[in-house]
Amino acid sequence: MSTTRKRVYGYLAEFKNASQLYKAAEKVRDAGFKKWDCYSPYPIHGLDGAMGMKRSILPWFVFFGGMTGTATAFSLAYSTQVIIYPTIVQAKPTNIFTIPAYFPIMFELTVLFSGFTVLFGLLALIQLPRLNHPLFASKQFHRATDDGFFIAIEARDPQFSPNQTRDLLAEIGGKNIELVEEED
Amino acid sequence: MAHHHVTSADIAINGDHLEPSKVSKVKTIAAIIAAIGTVVSLYLLFFGPEKIQGTYAYSWLFAFYFFLTLSIGGCFWTLLHNVSNSGWGTSVRRTYENLGSTYPWMFLFGLPLFCPHVQHFLYEWMNVHRGAHGGDVKEHLHHVNHLLLNKHWFMNIPFWYGRVAFYFIGLSLVIIGLRKLSTDQDTDPNPGTKRLFRARFHSTYTLIIFALTITFTGFDFMMGLDYTWFSTMWGVYLFAGAALNSMAVIVIVCTWLKSQGHLKHVTGPEHFHIMGKLMLAFTIFWAYVSFSQFFLIWYAGITEETRYFLIRNTGNWNIAMIALVFGHFVVPFVVLLQAWLKRNPKTLAIVAVYTLCMHVLDHYLISIPERGVSLGNINRAVFGDIQVSIPGAFWGDIFAFVTIGSAFLFFLLRAIGQHSLYPCRDPRILESANHSN
Repeated sequence: MSTTRKRVYGYLAEFKNASQLYKAAEKVRDAGFKKWDCYSPYPIHGLDGAMGMKRSILPWFVFFGGMTGTATAFSLAYSTQVIIYPTIVQAKPTNIFTIPAYFPIMFELTVLFSGFTVLFGLLALIQLPRLNHPLFASKQFHRATDDGFFIAIEARDPQFSPNQTRDLLAEIGGKNIELVEEED
Repeated sequence: MAHHHVTSADIAINGDHLEPSKVSKVKTIAAIIAAIGTVVSLYLLFFGPEKIQGTYAYSWLFAFYFFLTLSIGGCFWTLLHNVSNSGWGTSVRRTYENLGSTYPWMFLFGLPLFCPHVQHFLYEWMNVHRGAHGGDVKEHLHHVNHLLLNKHWFMNIPFWYGRVAFYFIGLSLVIIGLRKLSTDQDTDPNPGTKRLFRARFHSTYTLIIFALTITFTGFDFMMGLDYTWFSTMWGVYLFAGAALNSMAVIVIVCTWLKSQGHLKHVTGPEHFHIMGKLMLAFTIFWAYVSFSQFFLIWYAGITEETRYFLIRNTGNWNIAMIALVFGHFVVPFVVLLQAWLKRNPKTLAIVAVYTLCMHVLDHYLISIPERGVSLGNINRAVFGDIQVSIPGAFWGDIFAFVTIGSAFLFFLLRAIGQHSLYPCRDPRILESANHSN
């Protein structure tokens, strides 16, 4: 006899098309759920608004990442050219007034650091990379990359209830409603 | 969707017209100021004391070219909208066209600059050419100025007048034609896609006329102030400022129209967001181009190229140049990064007003620092030795700016009042109204 324990991840419901998914998302949002997500084969314009998602904090990370890049480049150029090893090139001064020569470096490192912050900040915020996702336990979920439109409401949402959530999904047009369980 | 989905029921069938009484007072005042200012200016330019004739010629050039860049920018956005097949911009396109349609009028304010009497104080190369006194110009240049002989193929007086005529006729026909194509649609009982495609087609090759106009008006009116100096970045630099600040004018006009209850269903935060993004993009582009120009000249340190920046970093001009770096780039860049600010018409309009102030500073630094140097060279007895700036001359700058500025306001308001405020029968007006980015 198998002794594998299972933990409920949440409900997964399929919707007919993008427009159904959009309308259903608005209703799930209005029902007050927080831990839930939509899955679609392609991006749907305005779905973030329909889901009531807040603006990402990522731009702030990128702003300060970029600022760090500017400051790093300035310190690097200034310390080498003015403090450590002053070199007279083309009769240009070796003090702060050489700053135009630092601008390309400051620009490049701003872009580089911003780019890194975008990439790694995004990966951290969406918790990637990961080896598995509980929804992969569902037999139908692979169609989210082909022709399936899904909403999954997680059991850890404080509003979640085994019966009412299922009824809500059915009421807003969800088909093939499935209780997804992950192996513990 | 959070906001109301716009349908054809929300679009005024005969367009959204500005109530003439709303602006008639402002228009009258602007017209009176412009008319009196122009008469006084013509007097100062042609019959005033020689000292004022000389200094005021620069004031007039500064004000004329400043407002010309805004009009040219309006033509640019119209052309770009058509040629890029843009869907979002249809509801604000009429404002582009209205701004662009001031171009022929603003160009007329350049007429004094076409008279040898005024050119005498501005363009020293013309004085050298005219020194031939009807004889063979090339032979004359061969003896007195070899640099001008080498530049004779481009810098000669008949070609100069020919080019100026081309700028006036070319871009005027382009914007008048495109605007007519657009406004005719408003009253067409069977509006179709025919005009849309025609506007798109004609905007392709006329974009070249626009590019030649912004580049070579810059060369002929501005770079020609000092014939020894040249920069291949010049046209792009002026274009960057023109595109940025005409967008600022468009934002201000749209915000004002919205506050008067117009453009109600067709524009919203999404449109202002895009216009704000374009302002941000051109703030960055302006900084990129102007820094590139400075950087290459500074780094190479070649005598014939450094003149421009030497003059503008002598005396107090240096403070203004550094102020430009922060005021025209750093401040608007950081401010315009914020999305909420771009989505709110009022805050974006405040930034647009600020950007225009910086554009004034930019163009002041382009045209005015040359004044003390050139006039000292032309007539030391009248203007005194070569100096950083001529004391008291800035009153003329303010006067010329107010005069041409009032005329600009008058022609802009006049254009806004002529037709519907958005192309109400354009096939893509609903696409534009419901746009989300």
